[in-house]
Amino acid sequence: MAAPSTTVDVVAPRSSGSDNYLTHDKGVLSWIFTLDHKRIGVMYLCSVLTAFALGGFFALLVRTELLTPQRTIMDHDTYNQMFTLHGAIMVFLVIIPGIPAALGNIIMPLQLGAKDVAFPRLNLASYHLWIVGALFMLSSLAINAVDTGWTFYTPYSTTTSTAVVPAAFGAFILGFSSIFTGLNFIVTMHKLRPPGMTWFRLPLFCWALYSTALIQVLATPVIGITLLMMIVERTLHIGIFDPMLGGDPVLFQHFFWFYSHPAVYIMIVPAFGVIGEIIPVFSRKRIFGYKFIAVSSLAIAFLGFLVWGHHMFVSGQSVLAGTIFSAITFLIAIPTAIKVFNWITTMYKGVIHLDTPMLYALAFLWVFTIGGLTGIFLAVMSVDVHLHDTYFVVAHFHYVMMGGAITAFMGGLHYWWPKFTGKMYEEKVGRVGAALVFVGLNVTFFPQFILGSRGMPRRYYNYLPEFQPLHVLSTLGAYTLGIGFLLTAFYLYKSLKSGKTAPMNPWGGATLEWHCSSPPPYYNFHKPPVVTAGPYDGYENLMYDETISGYVPRKEKIV
Amino acid sequence: MANDDTPQNAEQPKSMQGSSEETPTIAPEDDATAPNPAFEPTEQDEPEQDEQADAVSEDPQQGHEKHEDHGLAHTMPIWMMLAVLGALMALTILTVSVTSFDLGSEGNLVVAMVIATIKAGLVVTFFMHLFWDKKFHLILFLTAVLFVILFLSMSITDRGEYQHNIDLYTNATTPAVGK
Amino acid sequence: MSESISPAIEPKPGHRVPAPAVHEDADHGGHDEHGHGAGPHLAHHFDTYQQQFDAGKLGIWLFLLTEVLFFSGLFCAYTVYRGMHPEVFVYAHYFLNTTMGAINTCVLLVSSLTAAWAVRNAQLAQRKLLVLNIAITIACACTFMVVKFFEYQHKFHDGLLPGPAFHPTEQVWELDAFKKKHPEAAEYAEKLTQLAEHKGDVSAVAGAIDLTRPVTGKFERPTEAQLEPLLKAGVIGPAAEDTTRPSKPRNAHVFFSIYFFMTGLHGIHVLAGIGVWVWLGIRANKGQFGPKYFGPIDYSALYWHLVDLVWIYLFPLLYLIH
Repeated sequence: MAAPSTTVDVVAPRSSGSDNYLTHDKGVLSWIFTLDHKRIGVMYLCSVLTAFALGGFFALLVRTELLTPQRTIMDHDTYNQMFTLHGAIMVFLVIIPGIPAALGNIIMPLQLGAKDVAFPRLNLASYHLWIVGALFMLSSLAINAVDTGWTFYTPYSTTTSTAVVPAAFGAFILGFSSIFTGLNFIVTMHKLRPPGMTWFRLPLFCWALYSTALIQVLATPVIGITLLMMIVERTLHIGIFDPMLGGDPVLFQHFFWFYSHPAVYIMIVPAFGVIGEIIPVFSRKRIFGYKFIAVSSLAIAFLGFLVWGHHMFVSGQSVLAGTIFSAITFLIAIPTAIKVFNWITTMYKGVIHLDTPMLYALAFLWVFTIGGLTGIFLAVMSVDVHLHDTYFVVAHFHYVMMGGAITAFMGGLHYWWPKFTGKMYEEKVGRVGAALVFVGLNVTFFPQFILGSRGMPRRYYNYLPEFQPLHVLSTLGAYTLGIGFLLTAFYLYKSLKSGKTAPMNPWGGATLEWHCSSPPPYYNFHKPPVVTAGPYDGYENLMYDETISGYVPRKEKIV
Repeated sequence: MANDDTPQNAEQPKSMQGSSEETPTIAPEDDATAPNPAFEPTEQDEPEQDEQADAVSEDPQQGHEKHEDHGLAHTMPIWMMLAVLGALMALTILTVSVTSFDLGSEGNLVVAMVIATIKAGLVVTFFMHLFWDKKFHLILFLTAVLFVILFLSMSITDRGEYQHNIDLYTNATTPAVGK
Repeated sequence: MSESISPAIEPKPGHRVPAPAVHEDADHGGHDEHGHGAGPHLAHHFDTYQQQFDAGKLGIWLFLLTEVLFFSGLFCAYTVYRGMHPEVFVYAHYFLNTTMGAINTCVLLVSSLTAAWAVRNAQLAQRKLLVLNIAITIACACTFMVVKFFEYQHKFHDGLLPGPAFHPTEQVWELDAFKKKHPEAAEYAEKLTQLAEHKGDVSAVAGAIDLTRPVTGKFERPTEAQLEPLLKAGVIGPAAEDTTRPSKPRNAHVFFSIYFFMTGLHGIHVLAGIGVWVWLGIRANKGQFGPKYFGPIDYSALYWHLVDLVWIYLFPLLYLIH
């Protein structure tokens, strides 16, 4: 952090309007060792999208294998490795860093009105750690891919012959990457707010990132020590988790879920933030219940720490602990519902523009509500005993993680794409892509609810023939999803090459990032902006200018 | 490099440097009594006010009034540091000597933990400046403690609840030697 | 640059630093270095030194938060095993050298003092004292590691290793620490062992151990002082590995797993601290720290106090088990 003066590079403001963070420096090294939060965010974004493609490829392999009740394309050991890699990559490499580290890094300081994050070098270190962690995790693929499931449960993880250690060590390093990002964001939001940017003028995306960062800082160290203990258990047999040596595997699950349940909120709370940005802008209406949405993020972050045991109802955990965890789990529905109700109320009597980001936001509301409500089924201990480790659970968390976090990530990507690339994508193709993703998602995962409630266990290679029609349907949905994402990748890439130049404010947002040029200049704001209104105020003072396809301030202000 | 590394103030003419260092205890003593602690909380209480406070503190006049003790943070007097170290050493001796007494099944553990917590409190309060620091840092630290307690208490409670299952397993699987 | 240095900064003996001079100095430095109104150590995205310092301080506190939670996993494992298997901890603590632990505690406490003092030196721009205090801190940290090294070496030599490598070369009642504390029990354990080995009179031994059974043979019923320390340490009784002779408690190796894990992780933090202090010592020697820019010293001192804090708990938990 504290900078020796050698790296402090203060340049006089450029007068040329065309200079932006993308063109400010040239060369690969100027990217790899950049301290600019936007560039780091873009690098994160590219890496995360690469990992997403890889994880998605494994998912398609898994779904293809499940087309038939017996062997389709791979043997059962490979199948175990495929779903493990799919899970581990999607959780640790895609969803956790997806919105905070990639989109958050690019957008949050802009929204805040800061020149950069508080510790630019820590930010870069966090990205480099991410790369190292990802390489470790993928090295497991090259050696003998890990087959424990992404949860690394002992005693299987300490006895299986696959390469658990590199994968777990990769997750350990990724944890530190995540901690440093969270730490950086908290300090940035505390210390780098410009004049007038009070806490309750922060955009909801910032609030969500703040809550996320608190979880990252408080929970992630515990997974660090847990994975470290697991690695040592595996290599030196220290007997902390291995029952053969006097250890306790349920203790591992406590350790693991003390992080990994809050980690679920590391994944979904930033998604809430993105939705909170998109809905008011595309409804041309001030957000409803701003303070409630802001504070409910904190409430979710806090409650998220008190419920980890609901993953362990059938693990040998005591009934007492199960009861406590079950009861608290119901409480989480309250702040979550507050958010959903407020978003819906925001749209009420708004002027809704069904552009691609808004389509993703609407898709989010649909699938997240299904995902959230099925979570309440699973929070009931007696129901969970029946549904535990079935496809019902798989469907539930895919509705939340894939349907919630990834949909919001896609929404945010489209929403801010013009801002950080300076290019517009093809709107009509974008809508087709969003529709394909929405349909594919529901076709893939809804049948899994039915499968699960009928008793199809998760992670099984073979299944009863009666389950085949629903499995085929689910696989077809997965292919639809794949096509939707390929289409999206195609038109986004095309927009970089031949897209129209983006205006400063294509959607009519009022938050500070839309006050910068697209793409933003190197130092964002040459003078700290002075904030005088809330983040969702003043839509009425913006008007659409067809000549630039973007919003400009209205000449005569409406009072 | 040499240019960059040149400090803004610390590299003094050697003669001056020496004169202050040979009498380190005098300068600090005076220093310790000088600042009026009443100024500290008002400025540092609320993290929300930082930007405004910064703007103000840059002004030399204001800075003079507010930062009686070197601008950025509180400076701890030497006597206080030595006193804290003395207390920590005394408590260490106490905790070692207490082990030779039997204070019941859990008594020794409780006493040891109480002493350790007092020591930790001294370190946190004085060495880590939390007494003078922003309240938000204190909140952060207490949050950490709270979450550790949460983590430990739930895990341990649960383990206590299912321990009998493990005992059953252990008794059933341990080979009975000599029977 | 050197022209801009204000000699008024250096506090004269018995004289408080005049605050306005500090600010004046910042202005000078800023103009020389960047023409930006910033000082030489002020990063571009901060407006003032105060903002930079506060940001760093909040950052380091958050980092300490993560450190506390990082260690909490081990404390949790410790508490669970100690709660469920107290005999293992009673057994194992006789193998630990309390004197060495106490020395290390004092060494770390002294280094904490010098670290706190170093912050003060940096704030007052006392360069030589700052370097001296950092040097003492490093020396203490190295002393700590050397003591630790000898402790580890001793443990390795005695076969006190975690997991399947656990093969203690000495029985617990043969240790001086045990003999000194419970002479009668040590003697009694010796007697039982001989009985089991030479006479092969297993039933007599088993009878002696199980107080409810009638005593057979010539063996006398043991007294409380003979029996209780052995029962508590799991040498005999239901927790023992071998029920026919004095042995060690089941899974005694778990204590050493936890011991090595906790002290090892703590040791790694000490090593990291040494690295940081060496780096800061070099920078301090160049005179980079002063009233406007002492953050790195302050943050490292906070980290160092946390390392001390962890040890404050480890010492009684590992060495002072009653």
